[in-house]
Amino acid sequence: MTAKANISTTRDDGRTLVVVFLRGAADGLTLVAPIADDNYHKFRPRLAVKAKDAVRLDDTFGFHPNLRALEPAWKDGDLAIIHGAGGESDSRSHFEAQDMMEHGGLAAGGWLARFLRARGPSQSPLSAVALSATLPESLSGAPSAAALQSLEEFAISKNGEGNSEAFTRELRRLYELENGPVKSAAAATFEALHRIESIDAKAKPANGADYDEKDYFAQGLRQVAQLVRAEVGLDAASVDLHGWDTHFTQQSGIEPLMLRLANGLAAFRKDLGERMATTTVVVMTEFGRRVAENASFGTDHGRGGVSFVMGGGVKGGRVLGGWTGLKPEILDGPGDLPVTNNYRNILAPVLTRHGADTAGLANIFPDFALKPLGLYA
Amino acid sequence: MKKTSRREFIAAGTGAIAMSALILKSAQGLLGKGAQYFGRDLQRPLDGPLTPSAATDIDSVAHALNRFTFGPGPGDYARVSAMGIEAFLEEQLAPEKIEDGACERAVSRFGECWWEPVGEAYDEDDEALSPLLRRVALLRAIYSKRQLFEVMCEFWSDHLNIDPGKGDCRYVKISDDQKVIRENALGNFGAMIRASAKSPAMLWYLDGRANTKSTPGEKPNENYARELMELHTLGVHGGYTQQDVMEVARCLTGWTILAKKDDGFSGKLLKPMKDRAKVVFRKEAHDDGAKSVLGQEIPGGLGEGDLDRVVDIVTTHPGTAQYIASKLCVRFISDEPRPSAVDAVARSFTESKGDIKTVLRALFATPEFHASAGAKFKRPFHFIVSALRATNAETDADRGVEKYLERMGQVPFRYPTPDGYPARASHWLATLPWRWKFALALSNNRIEGTRIDRKTLEQKLGGNAALIASLLNRQPIADESDAFQKSGDGLALMLASPAFQRA
Repeated sequence: MTAKANISTTRDDGRTLVVVFLRGAADGLTLVAPIADDNYHKFRPRLAVKAKDAVRLDDTFGFHPNLRALEPAWKDGDLAIIHGAGGESDSRSHFEAQDMMEHGGLAAGGWLARFLRARGPSQSPLSAVALSATLPESLSGAPSAAALQSLEEFAISKNGEGNSEAFTRELRRLYELENGPVKSAAAATFEALHRIESIDAKAKPANGADYDEKDYFAQGLRQVAQLVRAEVGLDAASVDLHGWDTHFTQQSGIEPLMLRLANGLAAFRKDLGERMATTTVVVMTEFGRRVAENASFGTDHGRGGVSFVMGGGVKGGRVLGGWTGLKPEILDGPGDLPVTNNYRNILAPVLTRHGADTAGLANIFPDFALKPLGLYA
Repeated sequence: MKKTSRREFIAAGTGAIAMSALILKSAQGLLGKGAQYFGRDLQRPLDGPLTPSAATDIDSVAHALNRFTFGPGPGDYARVSAMGIEAFLEEQLAPEKIEDGACERAVSRFGECWWEPVGEAYDEDDEALSPLLRRVALLRAIYSKRQLFEVMCEFWSDHLNIDPGKGDCRYVKISDDQKVIRENALGNFGAMIRASAKSPAMLWYLDGRANTKSTPGEKPNENYARELMELHTLGVHGGYTQQDVMEVARCLTGWTILAKKDDGFSGKLLKPMKDRAKVVFRKEAHDDGAKSVLGQEIPGGLGEGDLDRVVDIVTTHPGTAQYIASKLCVRFISDEPRPSAVDAVARSFTESKGDIKTVLRALFATPEFHASAGAKFKRPFHFIVSALRATNAETDADRGVEKYLERMGQVPFRYPTPDGYPARASHWLATLPWRWKFALALSNNRIEGTRIDRKTLEQKLGGNAALIASLLNRQPIADESDAFQKSGDGLALMLASPAFQRA
């Protein structure tokens, strides 16, 4: 790998935060199953992950076998799991809970956008991307945030009209006549365009990483990895995985999703290799699901869910933030795992690592007394 | 200003609306499914003198056009040259006397945007309101002949920023736009701040509605009080203390809005529903003791009169004159204006008691203003609007255009924090590639809902040389003419060029 300067000279570290949102409310009790808890098996006679099938994590929990691809990250201590994760919205409405969580409470704009604004101006034209059709609410109000379905959308020469090479050449010529910040911004932009256009979309990912060709989620992560590798000054990326609303015959829905989640994240980690030291992936969902399964082999909307943090510096291999257990008397409302870890307390230490200071955090998450989780301690 | 409520207007005009809908439908039918209906009447007829600048630099006419407008369209240079800069400024400072039919047609074709009383907005689909507001702002910036007025509306919208994404702001920002920003944009600064202090959207956005007198369980909410001084008037170093923030918060306790549900803060709304979000003063929640703000005593017992006293004290404070002058100079002169210019503008602010027209006249008369041609880097909104104006584009100002603003991070009314979109170039330099892509897409009619007629523009202007001069607002340098020829798309190149990014 050739050493290249980061496009954005205002960023010293080239750190990238990747937010994976599991839309539809993923069932944390299937992803990270409390296999040693008798109540779990009582509440989920048909849907519980059986202890013998699970990938054992510690004395209490095991991954669903379809998350086995995440086992190396866990064993290497790069992956932390937080149970009872969620927000304050108890409406159990997907829309409201996602909205509140992505805004960071009753605030205007998205938390990720406020984080990027708090970091100050970036020279990179691609400091934030969402690999999706539209910008997620978390990036609402961000500086230069682009929703892309493919990196080719960013290129000038690949989808311009007529002789785009001549156009770029003449444009460069005019900007080279400039002085000062406009000239250097243009130079950074031409360099970013060059780096992105040099990305060989067909090239094999590094370190034998294997992304599913047909999976938009895996391909989104793959393109994020390409941007990280190209050092275009990517501060934040957002990738969604839809379809977790499993009211009915849950297994048929959630099992393939878990495979995609685990394989995608594992490929991303493998692909980035040492660059994971400056990359953090946060996996979140709007809420968890009812502890007791329903009559149609599914689960209904609950409260506490599961969250993952994977990446550089994380003291992982642990389930953090405590575990309430599933005794019926501690359950919330209609029988839900209580929210014991507000999503802000999970994100706050990550944002600190990615350059937010205390004053910045207070703006990113207004009206909330932060108690950051000890992800890095 | 329309005083009829939107509902009444629609009821009265149902026949006419049904008729126009029918015409629109048949026009779309003729064009086939998915085709856009483009009337011709939004574009300039290009029938007057179109001679662009013959100067090799941005001359004083071109400079005035760059700063008093969102960028000149074909013919503007010739018109302002003929009438003179002074007359042009005076014309722009009296927007109510400017005929503005094309803009009104654009707005009425693509989106009406007023509710009276504001509670009526709650009948609308909340998802539709913010897009409507954004679209109308874009249409006005592009098509209105009251350009300086629209430029000032943008300026004050940032100054008193409200993102409709918070709570009920999505319903009530529209009325804030009308009653606070547009009614006062060229009026009196103190009146604008007074209107803003009582605006339902501001009461929502900065939590004023939840500001009640101190009880054992509750403290006044300082959010609005702080931003009123830090952002709206004195500026962060304007000379207020934390004690002043607390005292201002006390003065403003009790002002809230009528809400459907009593969440403990709002006044209870019984009926009619259209009174929702009406601003009320809850005497029982007001701290009626004596206060001291910025060294001035406010006696106890003034009740709702405290608000007027606070607005007077903060808007006439010398720190405010300095702060507003400084912001205006950054907008209209350069990112780092000289103190001499700021002082001159601040003096005019104080002497005129915050008369915005007088202040602008003073600003445009400073030597620093005259020496600042091309010193500003256009923000994305300015860039896009100026490109559409320069090419005499027809646009529905909908998602096709908005997508580019989104990528550049300047969708109107979507700045999340109360400080408004930043004014200085450093925040926007990274948006160059999207400007270039926009230029290419516009030039080649690849933006959904937007179309330019390049051939007619070129013909009417009288060829390429005039087209370049019209776009750049001056004669090109040799490199620009040569690059225009060699680029394969000269129009896009000029819009993407460094010269077009400046104003």
